[in-house]
Amino acid sequence: MEQKLKTDFDKFISNSNFSNQEIKLKKEALDNFLKNGFPSRKLENWKFSDINQIIQKNIGELAFYNNYNIENGINDDIFIKEIEHNKIVIVNGKVERFSFEHEESDKVNLTTLDNINQNLNDYNSLLSLNNSFSNKIHNILVKKNYSFKKPLIIYQITNEEVSKTNINFQLNFELEENSSIKIINLSDDNSEKNFINNLFNFNLDKNAILKNYKIDKKNNTNIKYDYSSITQKENSISETFIFSSGSDYIKNEVSCNLEGQYSSAFINGIHFLSKNKHHEIRTNTKHLYENTKSYQLIKSVIDDSSKSVYQGKIYVDSKAQKTDGYQLSKAVLLNEQAEFNSKPELEIYADDVKCSHGSASGSLDEDSIFYLMSRGLDQKTAKELLINGFLLDVVEKITDEEIKKLLKDMIGLN
Amino acid sequence: MLKINNLNAKIQEKIILSGFNLEIKPGEVHAIMGPNGSGKSTLSNILSGKKGYEVSGEILYENNNLFDLETEERAHRGIFLAFQYPLEIPGVNTNIFLKTSLNSIRKAKGEKELDALEFLKLVKEKAKELKFDEEKLNRQLNVGFSGGEKKKNEILQMSILDPKLSILDETDSGLDIDALKIVADGVNALRKKNNSFLIITHYQRLLDYIKPDFVHVLMGGKIIKSGGAELALELEKKGYENFN
Repeated sequence: MEQKLKTDFDKFISNSNFSNQEIKLKKEALDNFLKNGFPSRKLENWKFSDINQIIQKNIGELAFYNNYNIENGINDDIFIKEIEHNKIVIVNGKVERFSFEHEESDKVNLTTLDNINQNLNDYNSLLSLNNSFSNKIHNILVKKNYSFKKPLIIYQITNEEVSKTNINFQLNFELEENSSIKIINLSDDNSEKNFINNLFNFNLDKNAILKNYKIDKKNNTNIKYDYSSITQKENSISETFIFSSGSDYIKNEVSCNLEGQYSSAFINGIHFLSKNKHHEIRTNTKHLYENTKSYQLIKSVIDDSSKSVYQGKIYVDSKAQKTDGYQLSKAVLLNEQAEFNSKPELEIYADDVKCSHGSASGSLDEDSIFYLMSRGLDQKTAKELLINGFLLDVVEKITDEEIKKLLKDMIGLN
Repeated sequence: MLKINNLNAKIQEKIILSGFNLEIKPGEVHAIMGPNGSGKSTLSNILSGKKGYEVSGEILYENNNLFDLETEERAHRGIFLAFQYPLEIPGVNTNIFLKTSLNSIRKAKGEKELDALEFLKLVKEKAKELKFDEEKLNRQLNVGFSGGEKKKNEILQMSILDPKLSILDETDSGLDIDALKIVADGVNALRKKNNSFLIITHYQRLLDYIKPDFVHVLMGGKIIKSGGAELALELEKKGYENFN
């Protein structure tokens, strides 16, 4: 793999026009990755999802070169019709279209970052891999006191042109004081057996609001790592919703640093898995200042021989008094082969805090199924109704009514 | 309508019903009374198709072998069980559940399914009759309902589904007098030439409001005595222990 990485990297650099400084940083990132390799189960955070082994088993040898000079066509049929929205269209890791047509142009700044983004909440070797092979990093800056009028939908598309390839992508958001944005990140995979490595970085200044809804619904055999790093100043709010279902493997990592008082982070997620899928949500919420709040609700429905993992970490710094942290994970296993792993981690260094966690798993309640069937519902309908009911309260947590309705229809919950 | 011949039921090697016989004809109201543990709930569970019992004997419903029918098919053919302990189903909206239920049955009977408007009209009317707080129908099924509201909800379902054979499993327990009257009125409103009822109860009280045609005393897994409505009064006087 090492040789392949080096030759693909050289090819990538010679076909791009990065500055010398960027090339230097990218080389360093590559060296870091070469030193560490893909994360494996030896690392605590990866013990339920050994991505090294999963890539080897499902893909085999990966190519790392990605030609960003190709122009990819976009089929407008894939765009959501139900709501007016702004768009970013990404095809195979390359941004093909920005459209902020509903916003005031002087309130949103679109730039590329000169430096690769070093300022993240955590580190793992996949971030080095991303830094070394990702294309120019775009930065979206929302100016002070400006609220996006319409949601931004990020279409993340892969097409048949790529296979057994590693695709790296990064996007950066700066939300200035008192600004807000609603994002739907929609995966649309038409490719098979790639390793997709995403990194989203959000910086929220005072009173900023981020609502981020991530939807992976379409069935595909890609393997994904999706990392969101969210840094929050005073009184800012982040709301993350994850619907994780379509890809063969995903690890969603959400890392929130609550740096300013009264900042709060909400993370709600659904795993809806069948066949032989393996999805993980790992959260790392750091309470770094007084009076901060975090809330997490993760629910999994697991069928066949699929596997769902939730690792939820809450860290409370010694100066983060009056922290309010909550997490709950629940799973319904529909099959004897289905597997659910849950690992809550609470690391608390302050003494005046309120933190709670809970985890429960089981099968659908037989008595409830009987009750519904005694009212004329066949077994399949009865089970669907119960599953729907089980997942509904996660979707109900979505605070934007228009998006909630859209996502309910999209996911098929009501 | 319903004919039970020599029904035996075991659960985990424990004999619950043994040599149970009963016949219910169209339009009849039968009451089964018995002490705790006599097998009353087992009987209602078996009639509505709950799994987990080892059964032998014969149950004929409209001349079909009931054991050949799945739980939902029994509902499609008009069997309804009002549960002793109605289940709370989180996340499932009561109205959506009722509509799915009614339309499953209508569809199985070859009738036209009701659309949202037709359904709401029907459900409103029935809820009003039973003095059931309509607003509750927009909530999750039985979640946060009081004991009495849950029981009323069962009777509401019964009146919407309009079954041929209704089994009321201790519907009176946990009801105050006012609620008892409302429930009884609901049952009486459904009494028609072809609708039959099997009322399972500990107490004679409910039978003051729903006059049964037959009363049976269930003890030790079988009916030890049958009679008219007056049997319930006799039972109330003597108690189960001194009854033989």
